[in-house]
Amino acid sequence: MYLTGKITKTLFLLALAALLATFSGLAFAADARALLKESESRHRTKTQQYAGELTVVNKEGKIRKKGWKSFREGYAGDAKNLIRFTDPPEVKGVGFLSVARPGAQNPDQWLYLPSMKRERRIATQDRDSSFVGTDFSYEDMEEFDHEKYKVELHGEQLVDSFPCYVIEAKPLEKKGKSTYEKKILFLRKDNLYLLREDLYRKGEKEPGKRMILSDLQQVGGHWVARKMEMKDLKKGSTTTVLLKEILFDKPQPVSRFTLQNLNREGGE
Amino acid sequence: MIFKFEIKALPLLALLHRLNSRRHDFSFDLKSELLYLHLFLLLLLLPLPVMAGEISGYAEAKGFAYAERWPGRDNRGLGWGTLFTKWEEMLGETQFTASLRGEGITSGEQQGVLDFDPADRRLRRSPVSVRDLWLRIPLNSTHDLQLGRFQLGWGKTDGYSPADAFLPRDLTDPFADEKLPLWALRLNGYNGALRYEVVASPVTTPWRLPPLGSRNAPIHAGSFPSGTVFNEVASSPPDIGFAAVRLQSAFGDWEVGGWGRAGVRPAPLLEFRIDQAISTTTGFSIPVERRYAREEAVGIELSRIIGSWIVRGEGAALFSRDCDLGNALIGSLSAERGFGDGTFLITLAGNAISPPVDASQLFDRAILPAVIAAWNRTEEWGEWKLVWSAGLKHGDGMLKGEAGYNISDIWKLTLGGELPYGSEEGVYGALNTARRVHVALRRSW
Repeated sequence: MYLTGKITKTLFLLALAALLATFSGLAFAADARALLKESESRHRTKTQQYAGELTVVNKEGKIRKKGWKSFREGYAGDAKNLIRFTDPPEVKGVGFLSVARPGAQNPDQWLYLPSMKRERRIATQDRDSSFVGTDFSYEDMEEFDHEKYKVELHGEQLVDSFPCYVIEAKPLEKKGKSTYEKKILFLRKDNLYLLREDLYRKGEKEPGKRMILSDLQQVGGHWVARKMEMKDLKKGSTTTVLLKEILFDKPQPVSRFTLQNLNREGGE
Repeated sequence: MIFKFEIKALPLLALLHRLNSRRHDFSFDLKSELLYLHLFLLLLLLPLPVMAGEISGYAEAKGFAYAERWPGRDNRGLGWGTLFTKWEEMLGETQFTASLRGEGITSGEQQGVLDFDPADRRLRRSPVSVRDLWLRIPLNSTHDLQLGRFQLGWGKTDGYSPADAFLPRDLTDPFADEKLPLWALRLNGYNGALRYEVVASPVTTPWRLPPLGSRNAPIHAGSFPSGTVFNEVASSPPDIGFAAVRLQSAFGDWEVGGWGRAGVRPAPLLEFRIDQAISTTTGFSIPVERRYAREEAVGIELSRIIGSWIVRGEGAALFSRDCDLGNALIGSLSAERGFGDGTFLITLAGNAISPPVDASQLFDRAILPAVIAAWNRTEEWGEWKLVWSAGLKHGDGMLKGEAGYNISDIWKLTLGGELPYGSEEGVYGALNTARRVHVALRRSW
């Protein structure tokens, strides 16, 4: 009788512990989601455009410079992006268009090569490929949309001396395919701006890539990182983008984010 | 593209005795022409203050080493220098682009004289040519009008697309697959997911062929005695060109398109005027004339993303009342996927209707049926490309490889080679003697 009572008590305690653990997990998840929602709400802009100065440094220290112009309309899950390379001559005129498919899976992506005079569609499984010789992949060029991820708060950590929330984001397969198993996001606590993103490829325990955003400034009332670094930790190479001529909420032409515009030779 | 002919009976030849004089059409005063060319090219390099737009370009020196010397005509080595400059300017909302190319080829036979040839209608390429000269005027937010001289691209590089194959190429270097720009007017626009394009080219830009009988266009003269030459007559291509309409739309993972065109086919039909052949001290000289047939064509294209692959199918029906050209029913199926920083493209293409003449004389469909596999990749040091093309009728083919090393952001060294093989009955195998390697150094700005 005594033994039965002890077992019952133990089972009760275990059940209670499991319930607490579940609720605390939900609470963390809810916190992470709320933080990401708040971050999106604070930093959402109608449009953004900038001129990017890229420096690609490989493992041996060899430096390649590139330049692009970037245009965005919408944000996160409704974003449209157009990038047009301006330098060097080898890639000048190369264009990239990414259009989110609302409520659907991965965005549609196309690459325009002046030598071909027409666009090439990027298949979903190609999104791990390097984007025009940089350390960014086609997937990295997408806007982060937390609704496509299962998110969980993993405490706090200092990044570049700023206290940050650490959030784990795992792609939801039904919301699209990802080349990453998970992403660890570091959101600065005071302004909820993303400072770092560790990217884990599928089946890997260590991050394969790391994106670092720094040199935060206010432009037109919006926070923006003027420096963006993507490190390929396996290859040992780094691509740094310096953002110049940043403009927010400037109305973009209706046709900016269309295939017709992507195919405009010499156009933006 | 290759020419090969078996000419069996020529009773008139014995009666003919006049010396071939046509070849003198291609002679020129080398010194004065080169002087003008050099002065002109130097002028192109000057950053004129009036040019406020963007100026880009490159200078390239290229050397070829051939496995064999082509008897009596082509040396084992060939040098090719190019200076290209492009000026792009925004005039309000209107885009203006102009580009010029200056060239020097050590083989005088492959290059024409320095003259005014704004539509590339001469037999040989001019040392200086206009590659772009166009305006693009936005009519409204969804429609653009482009007019002037520009290049069209309706197919895949290193593949075969019936929509694109008819467009004029410059085969002076038969391995380069260089498209010629056209004088044309193009209206393109979109409505939702539907994109449309209307092109009218008022003047025919003909395919440019290598010198007939040279290493790049070998002609098997059958029963002719050695020394027979083919005298290309500079016939004038028709003034009118062609008009085309193209529609494309995307539905999720699907892309669907259709097109139609009518007008003059830019690839010539060669007429060997055996009745006008003449005997020379070295053999016979046969005049070769060119004519251009009218052709109408319609086509469909369908592509879909399937897993990692983009699969594309194209079909085209081509109609001509010309007895040498005939009709054609061309289909192609291709699959493309990304591998790391590169793409792999494999294409199978064929013509369901046998042409009335040897297919090698029809240029845009000379390689059919064929399979083409192309793999290119970007590396940290540059990029490389491998292409294997195989003619399925004669069992011939070609392997092509190229690697470009980026010395810096503006200097690039390229090494490559082309290895045609197989039966000389096929268009690739006929180029067996043109096997070569090449090296190029380019400085871009």
